[in-house]
Amino acid sequence: MTRTTLSRRTALRAAGAAALGVGAAGLTSCADPVTGSGSGGQLAYWNFFTGGDGERMVQLVDSYRDEAPQVQVTDTTLAWGAPYYTKLAMACAGGRAPDLATMHMSRLPPFAAHLLDPFDLDELAARGITADQFPERVWDKAQHDGQLYALPLDTHPMVLYVNTDLCDRAGLMGTDGQLAPITSAEQFLDAGRRLADVTGSTGISWAAADGLGGWMMFWSVFRQLGGRLELPQGGTAQVDRDAMVQAFSFIRDLTDGTICSPTLDGPAAPAVFASQQAGLFVLGPWELITAETAGIPFTMQQFPALFGDQPLIRADSHSFVLPRQASLDPARRSAAYDMAASMLRNSLSWAGGGHIPALSAVSDSPEFLALQPQANYAGAADVVEYDPDAYFSGSGSQLMSFGGQQILSVSTRAQTPEQATDTFLTWVDQQLAIPSPV
Amino acid sequence: MATTASGRTTVPAPRARQPRRTTSSLTTNPGGFWFVLPFVLVYAAFTVFPVLYGFGMSFFNVSLAGAPTSFVGLDNYAELLGDSQVWRTLGHTLLFTVISTVPLVVVSLAMALLVHTGVKGQWFWRFSFFAPYLLPVSTVVLIWNWLMQGDFGFINGVLGGLGLPTVGWLSDEGVALTSVVLITVWWTVGFNFLLYLSALQAIPESVYEAAALDGAGGWRRTVSMTLPLLKGTTGLVVVLQVLASLKIFDQAYILFGGSGGPGGAAAPILQHVYDTGFVNYRLGYASAISYVFFALIIVVSLGQFALSRRRGRTAA
Repeated sequence: MTRTTLSRRTALRAAGAAALGVGAAGLTSCADPVTGSGSGGQLAYWNFFTGGDGERMVQLVDSYRDEAPQVQVTDTTLAWGAPYYTKLAMACAGGRAPDLATMHMSRLPPFAAHLLDPFDLDELAARGITADQFPERVWDKAQHDGQLYALPLDTHPMVLYVNTDLCDRAGLMGTDGQLAPITSAEQFLDAGRRLADVTGSTGISWAAADGLGGWMMFWSVFRQLGGRLELPQGGTAQVDRDAMVQAFSFIRDLTDGTICSPTLDGPAAPAVFASQQAGLFVLGPWELITAETAGIPFTMQQFPALFGDQPLIRADSHSFVLPRQASLDPARRSAAYDMAASMLRNSLSWAGGGHIPALSAVSDSPEFLALQPQANYAGAADVVEYDPDAYFSGSGSQLMSFGGQQILSVSTRAQTPEQATDTFLTWVDQQLAIPSPV
Repeated sequence: MATTASGRTTVPAPRARQPRRTTSSLTTNPGGFWFVLPFVLVYAAFTVFPVLYGFGMSFFNVSLAGAPTSFVGLDNYAELLGDSQVWRTLGHTLLFTVISTVPLVVVSLAMALLVHTGVKGQWFWRFSFFAPYLLPVSTVVLIWNWLMQGDFGFINGVLGGLGLPTVGWLSDEGVALTSVVLITVWWTVGFNFLLYLSALQAIPESVYEAAALDGAGGWRRTVSMTLPLLKGTTGLVVVLQVLASLKIFDQAYILFGGSGGPGGAAAPILQHVYDTGFVNYRLGYASAISYVFFALIIVVSLGQFALSRRRGRTAA
């Protein structure tokens, strides 16, 4: 056996050649993105799913790759929140956006104004996707200026995680393996007190110190109280002040240190539930994996109506959007439609991450209805409440972050509910008064 | 001047007697230009151009959301004068700079002096004090985020165990910025420590021997000799630290998940720039804020430069 030794010079030469090759490939792909012709071609898809969701998204992309082997799909995953939306906006503005991208529907309005193309309903219908296959509220939110700008993949409402063992010991379980119905705020608070007796610490885990976690509780309760918040750019906020004060008051009642800690942050709240230091836990359904991994006895349910008779729940939806292109290639656009439709059809596996599939063919299928605990809260899709429309609103937005600060200040007793309401509304009016970037 | 082994002092020969150099020096040699060129190109493309471009942007209402751009003159600058959030977050940054620079200088000096006293296992102390500096910011902050948890964090656990009241490290408006300072000190004190330690090691032993002969004790030697001899290093450490602290962003941003902390009490001005430009899509206005801050940093730097020059002159 002869051993070939790799001299440093050869190695450097090879590396240099490889680098040049990569660079050249990059250049050509910039200049002429479509290498194939006819049915073949390339497709760039961006998303922001990491962790458990990320794995499922890769499965969805792979299933499209199997369906359309002639299309070369490049999928790029970026960190969610501002990093993702910044890059997407930059790419759109520069005219070299991906062919298909993921977006929270709550962030749609500022993007739809200048950076996205609307979906062609005929093209969607040709792929078997029509409006009547989506929950009405979800479909409505995907519209902008009377056109469909986002194709909803799922809905992720705030849900109630139930530690069945602890809740059983607190006498809160019904006969069907679910929590006995909770129909009022007082009952919810009482459940928290009884659970605190069982756990010896707090009853309910809820992240008062996390912008997202805090906001979803606040917005759900505010809407259940009949509160409305409209944000007309250049005007002043139209708001039910009393409902907002009441919502903040509920937050204060909730975070008395027994029912709920006033200071749990984003990472802490799921950890408290996973370590069985609380019997109930409130957040989006994506912590399903955390609870499963922890191996605790749990189920998940739709968040109940604490006020009023409709269990309105703050939610957001992941969706697909078509970024505007400097020069539109019909083949790539067509492949983008194909891929979006394919991922929607295959979204049963996506539901494994806790999200409710938006397409009724999936969410009404026997397979999904047999999926536990997801099927328990699938009805939430009909009562979802999205964030108010404004460029500074939505998941990961300034409205959420500033609202979150007020929620935390009420839970730590730094502000009264009245003060928090005033602070919040003053800030909102300031935002409406400054020049809009949209 | 150098001292040779034989103890004779050699005096540099007069210029005339040096062999005449046939090539010109590095600074006058046109070849030097070609060596510097790669750096200049990168510097121009990634520093000079963006700085000028960003300054231009601050006079336009550039939007990340793709809205048409128009010239707005000084409107952005006028707006920031009345933007309470700009002044509030600037206050946080300045406060952070003051309350982080002091411990970062004092603690690092104390650590260097302790290690320099000749404790056993010098390498171990050097390594331990410097190790946190090698960690990425996200790692550091995640560790401390768990330590500082209000309900089940390690620090509050210890405080509670000692019968002391627990502290809302991450949830109390009055404490949030201090928590960021604590994390920053733990994380970056090692760098200043290293600067001080190397300066200490550069002080010749003979100076101390002479002082000891004159009857100076350990404390007297430290106060009257070591500290004055470290003056130059202290100046350097302070300058570097003030500039680093003014740039506070990442620790605070990650620690509070981008929320700015309780009541926004730990949001530095760079976070306001980031939020304005990238979360709220207002790139033009965000540029204006960042250039006002940039101007402030230049003023601080010039001030420090002037101070150190005056110090240098009085010392000479």
